[in-house]
Amino acid sequence: MTEELFRDFWWLMFPLFGMVMAILGLARDNANENQVLRQARQKLERD
Amino acid sequence: MTFEELFRGYWWLMFPIFGMFIALLGMFQAENRSRQVMTLIKSYLDQGKEPPPELLKMAQERSDYEMDVGLPPGRGDKSWTFVVFLALAAGFGVGYWWIREESWSFPFLIVAVTMGVLAIGSLIIAITQRRP
Repeated sequence: MTEELFRDFWWLMFPLFGMVMAILGLARDNANENQVLRQARQKLERD
Repeated sequence: MTFEELFRGYWWLMFPIFGMFIALLGMFQAENRSRQVMTLIKSYLDQGKEPPPELLKMAQERSDYEMDVGLPPGRGDKSWTFVVFLALAAGFGVGYWWIREESWSFPFLIVAVTMGVLAIGSLIIAITQRRP
């Protein structure tokens, strides 16, 4: 990994950051949905 | 071929690969979620109970990963899709024109042509589709 490579591709950090945020957003959405489903399942079993 | 040469030659591939990965992941998640929601709603109805509103909301929600470009339904019309694709085609077309002498300019041309075809398709759909 050379300094020249970084100088040529430093701007890639912005789309890479976007990709990381997209993955985090996907994981967070999935966790929220799972929580709603888990609560609904618990409510069904409890009542 | 060193890693640096490989990276310089194919760095742009990370974008379509990431897009495919996210699309597949989102599709599987949406499919799994829909199945779970439907099963739960059925269980509620089988027991004669009212399903929770959050569950019904989840069942009605559109997935973010459905192949739909444009404004959310009800807010825009089909002509907006044409404008989006046309803008993308024009942007990538101009990008290709500026760097056409470079050996790595072909991805810009591929994206510009794809977006152009999609723009034409969406224009045809916008013209032929009957308004409500």
